[in-house]
Amino acid sequence: MNKETEVRDDFFIYEVFSQRSVSSSFVHQFSLLAPNKEVALAMARENFLRRETCFNIWVVKRDDIYGLSPEERPFLERLDNKSYRETRGYGDLQARWRHHREQYEEKQKHAESGS
Amino acid sequence: MGDFSQVETTEAAKQNPEYAQALTDLLFQLADDDFILAYRGSEWLGLAPHIEEDVAFSSMSQDMMGHAVMFYEMLEQLGVGKADDLAQLREADAFRNGILVERKNGEGDYNTDPHYDWAYAIVRSYVYGLYKQVRLESLLQSSYTPLALVSRKMMTEHRYHLMHWQVWLTQLANSTDEARKRLEAAIEKVWKDAGELYQLGANADAIVRCGLIAGEGELKQKWLTLTQGIFEKAGLVWAGEPGVPEQRGRHGQHTPELAQALATLSEVYRIDPAAGW
Amino acid sequence: MQTQMERSDLTENEKMEAFLAKIDRGGKIEADDWMPDDYRNQLIKLISMHGISEIMGALPEKEWVPKAPTLRRKLAIMAKVQDEMGHGQLLLRVAEDLLAPLGKTREDLMNDLFAKRLKFHNVFHMEAPTWADAGVIGWLVDGAAIITQSMSLDTSYAPYARALHRICAEEKFHAQHGESIVLELAEGTEEQRQMLQEAITRWWPSLLMFFGPPENGTITSNQSANMRYKIRTQTNEELRQVFLKKYLPRIFHLGFTVPDETIHFDEEKDQWVYQQPDWEQFKQIVKGNGPRSAHRLNLRETSYEETKWVRDAIMSYGRHVG
Repeated sequence: MNKETEVRDDFFIYEVFSQRSVSSSFVHQFSLLAPNKEVALAMARENFLRRETCFNIWVVKRDDIYGLSPEERPFLERLDNKSYRETRGYGDLQARWRHHREQYEEKQKHAESGS
Repeated sequence: MGDFSQVETTEAAKQNPEYAQALTDLLFQLADDDFILAYRGSEWLGLAPHIEEDVAFSSMSQDMMGHAVMFYEMLEQLGVGKADDLAQLREADAFRNGILVERKNGEGDYNTDPHYDWAYAIVRSYVYGLYKQVRLESLLQSSYTPLALVSRKMMTEHRYHLMHWQVWLTQLANSTDEARKRLEAAIEKVWKDAGELYQLGANADAIVRCGLIAGEGELKQKWLTLTQGIFEKAGLVWAGEPGVPEQRGRHGQHTPELAQALATLSEVYRIDPAAGW
Repeated sequence: MQTQMERSDLTENEKMEAFLAKIDRGGKIEADDWMPDDYRNQLIKLISMHGISEIMGALPEKEWVPKAPTLRRKLAIMAKVQDEMGHGQLLLRVAEDLLAPLGKTREDLMNDLFAKRLKFHNVFHMEAPTWADAGVIGWLVDGAAIITQSMSLDTSYAPYARALHRICAEEKFHAQHGESIVLELAEGTEEQRQMLQEAITRWWPSLLMFFGPPENGTITSNQSANMRYKIRTQTNEELRQVFLKKYLPRIFHLGFTVPDETIHFDEEKDQWVYQQPDWEQFKQIVKGNGPRSAHRLNLRETSYEETKWVRDAIMSYGRHVG
């Protein structure tokens, strides 16, 4: 067990996640102290969702969560050079389609007046 | 029950005096049980074993009092009196709750030197809750449609409460020797009163004849079977036939503990029941 | 939570500089970020006091929970006191995570409370003898609390900010709950109005004290440290003036008075001029010598001690089953 989160009377820290509706994702709410997962789950809704609707709840022991250290977190930042994977990188498409449509319509017009 | 024709509205119920009386008598039992146990639950505020549980436990009491309010409002619609008056201005002998729900949480007063018993809180809540589950299931078939409808609404919240008590019962029963001893003592104490829960009071025959709820025998059997299964699964010795208290709560006989509770509950309202609060 | 090893190639001075630069540009500190001991200690002091005040604050209102005069009010005040306990839970969790590296837990906080080492807000040491007191607590004490808590919403310590956002959202309901009780009494019978006036009079000095002593030009080292660390942004007196500007007119609009005949608004200075409460008495109260301090500490301590077997039991179940 991680020493930082050890509680002397041995209650553990559980992180609580909840899902608002069947179509929403789980979001983190807060943490609580509990001796085991069953008690943690039994107390979770009333501590953090007294007014909100709630479709499902998870509790996760904090010690079982593995994450980035504070020193590593800044490395999550990316260069802003990835327009090729976003819609804004393809802003020219609409104009090009329009161009083709107009060309086609122009040709049609000529064909009609020619016949 | 079942062969009685369905009574769809309050107005229709009022047209048959025998039916209206039976319905009123039953509603007082339902309302008073939830109201008084919710009050006992509210006395625990700030005193529960763990802060997170204090918060969770309070919701159960609120929900239960919310259910009581729904029953009192049905009485109000029947013209029996204003819901707030029914809850706060009746004398103890007009209350029809079982003795089990009026017992104090332990020695002392909620505000001065409380020495409350968490094992008793868990066992009482769960044993009463299991009976309430059986009762709500029966009420789904009630001849009085509005009662069947509110019972269905309450059922979801109530099942959530049962999940909560289940966790506590299982864990206390399978932990330390001290917890086990306290739990067994609490079961013994609760069991002395529990045999009154399924009683339907002086007007029981009419209540059943009107198709409002199943008979005492059926309610008792279903509740005992359910409870026995749960106790045995938790590794607890089955206490057998439940006892009945000396006073008959469903007949308006109560312990001084109810009178005291009612004095507290109505202390402010009685200053001037005609005023707005 | 587990993470990889911390970098240790920076000196303490460099860490301190980076920390101050970060909060100066509005950056937020997380529980596992490096922070100066002084910052940690200031936060622990502030947040554990705030958290334990919520827990102790449940007790004066709890007295009125069963007695609330209508079914709706009984439900509403039950929900409100539950929220207070819930706020205590959030804040204590934040404090506990700060205390963890020092090897301290919630149990230590409780023991500090019982030993009067951990203080709680002056208002929760006071008596609440009538239903109108429950109304005034909801209206004015919660009103005062909203003002101090809103100031800290932008605190540099991210976990505290997250807890405060949850709390402030619920405090709006609490204030409405209090206003509703108070308006009902104010619009009611002579007896009800008198009950309310007496409660306002009784709570007035405590409400002034709630924000702490005025600075009189010099702010305490505590306050300046908290402001340097961007834990708080306004002084005691600034907060008190916000409170007076918001609530005094409302008290007057209802036709009630406060026990201060010379109180008046100074247009030029744009502030209320009021008689100082007895700050010596304030010190005594927060030390745990208020009218209801011993009684409420006893409630808390007795219930905590007598339910120890429950916590031991469920912990033991956890060990059996995993």
